[in-house]
Amino acid sequence: MKSGLSSVLCAGLLGVLGAASGCSSTPHDPHDHAGVAGADGLAGANSAGAGNLAGAGGSAGAAPSACPEHPTPQRTQGSLLSMPLHVILQNQPFVFGQPNTLSDGGSIVPLNFRFYISEVALQRKTGESVAVDVLTAAGTPAPYGVHFFDAEEADSGALRVLAPEGDYSGLSFALGIRLACNQLPPASTAPPLTTDSQMTWPHTGGFLFLRYEGRYEGADGGANARIPSMVHMGGNIGQELVPRVTVPGAFSLSSNLPREKAMRMNMDDLFAAATSNLDVSDVTLPPGAEVIAGERLRRSISGLSVFQLEPE
Amino acid sequence: MVARSLDSAFGLLALSWLMGCSADASPRDGSLLTHAAAPAGFPKGTAADRAPADNALSEDRARLGKRLFYDPQLSRTNEVSCSSCHRQEFAFSDPNPVSVGVEGRMGTRNAPSIVNAAWGKTFFWDGHARSLEEQAGQPLENPLEMDLSLAEAVTRVAADPSYADSFRRAYGEAPSEASLQKALASFVRSVVSGNSPYDRHLRGDDGDFGEPRKRGEALFLGEKAECFHCHPGGVLSNEGFFNNGTFTAGGDTGRERVTGRVGDIGKFKVPGLRNIAASAPYMHDGSVPTLEAVIEQYEAGGRGDPTTDPLIRPFTLTAQERADLLEFLHSFTDESLLEDPRFAPEPELAQ
Repeated sequence: MKSGLSSVLCAGLLGVLGAASGCSSTPHDPHDHAGVAGADGLAGANSAGAGNLAGAGGSAGAAPSACPEHPTPQRTQGSLLSMPLHVILQNQPFVFGQPNTLSDGGSIVPLNFRFYISEVALQRKTGESVAVDVLTAAGTPAPYGVHFFDAEEADSGALRVLAPEGDYSGLSFALGIRLACNQLPPASTAPPLTTDSQMTWPHTGGFLFLRYEGRYEGADGGANARIPSMVHMGGNIGQELVPRVTVPGAFSLSSNLPREKAMRMNMDDLFAAATSNLDVSDVTLPPGAEVIAGERLRRSISGLSVFQLEPE
Repeated sequence: MVARSLDSAFGLLALSWLMGCSADASPRDGSLLTHAAAPAGFPKGTAADRAPADNALSEDRARLGKRLFYDPQLSRTNEVSCSSCHRQEFAFSDPNPVSVGVEGRMGTRNAPSIVNAAWGKTFFWDGHARSLEEQAGQPLENPLEMDLSLAEAVTRVAADPSYADSFRRAYGEAPSEASLQKALASFVRSVVSGNSPYDRHLRGDDGDFGEPRKRGEALFLGEKAECFHCHPGGVLSNEGFFNNGTFTAGGDTGRERVTGRVGDIGKFKVPGLRNIAASAPYMHDGSVPTLEAVIEQYEAGGRGDPTTDPLIRPFTLTAQERADLLEFLHSFTDESLLEDPRFAPEPELAQ
């Protein structure tokens, strides 16, 4: 039933959008994954001409033609690399659901924070990019190859991958989901691509890539222009819009030995990008300051250092 | 301009997504499970698919649970049953603002509807139960509700030979606290509503979904009313916890009682909206008597407490828009559920 629906959906998209839809009649080659291609070719910014919804940082390469719930694993042996996420604001832990005191005397309470990570690739020190499988907290392959960070769920707080041994200089991933996954109908999918992810987006169909909501209270009761109350980053389901980010940081993996390496997420940069003056008027966005903030973030984040592996 | 045309196309595609899962009304053969397919737009699978491995949904289990659901023996004073606060004609919710338990004791929250709870992730307004099985026994033991220990409940039903037979048939054992809770959960899981005009609309039948309802749907899913943030199309709940502006200082802090997080003060579970017009009053405390008043509260941006979620922002609808939105909300009513004899008490089963 799902494949049938997907076919209909893709047929419709092809009719409306042609090749831009990302739908293809070519069978999915499990080895033709965007992890490798993306890591090498999509990390940089692409041009954002008027009317080009992809914008800077969009993964504009050829998208895989399918998004299976159970993707074919890259490998069955390797080292478990666990990367617990340390969310940081002003060099302090950014604690979900609690007041975080800021240098201006104000405080911020994060109320909702969640995002997708997919298409993970490790960067060998030799320069080679190695696509890796995303795992669940239980160690099983993640559905759709997607990790869903949800600040309300402790189990989601670490990105886990199965990787070959070697010396690495960092990694990269798509902050969101690629087009083929974004086109899946939420009524026919499994978590994390369901409506209870709180990431579905009725404006254009598909899913948000990142969702943040919080409550800022200034010391004087006023607002802070650099602290957004909401950021909804996403994209419509007609183009490959997911941004790719690089995560610098050296580490080594030994054969079949688990390894933990913390990953820092710098909210200062994320908030600054979301509240920048970047002109996004070249596209028609759904109304709402949170959507504009999200689009500014989407176009900028590939060039920022929001994510970093913590030093040894 | 290009983007606008694409958006329109996507709107149609999104609707086709929601239409993907069909759940036609099943023949009324008296089985509790024949109607348990997912309502339109719900996640794939049936109510039975949502049951845990150690409590697979069966007719025997659901029927036993139904008998328990309507049995006042499960309260200390033999005067209150689950059905006292979850009344079928009100879509298995309570028309009283807060529930009334044994000896007239007043609860603190409005009893939520149990309809389509099979697809729920958490239960109670603050989400402190993570399964229907975990939820099922708690109203029995709550001193403001049924005020009866599970152990005493088991003793009472075990003393009835017909109950003992039903438990053996359903669970292969004498009544126990675990099987009693599992049976109640099984009945709740079987209460599925998927035959409202909205469900039929999602399946492509707009015979009872005219222009006012379509305009209301557009408002619901649009950025003016912004209902979709918490009530996405189809399933009509994102299963999350949000402070929708009903909380005021000194009131029930909701989700914060479970997590201890300051940011969760005033957050309550987003309810599904199937049959919402039949389940007044509204909000966790039943403080809003009508759907008109619900819309009014949202238009005002809540009651002004600073803990209100930033997505709750004031807006103004025209009189026509309010009427259209109300029409859309009424399209969620599944009249067949409200009077379905399969879910009504069966006195003969209590013999």
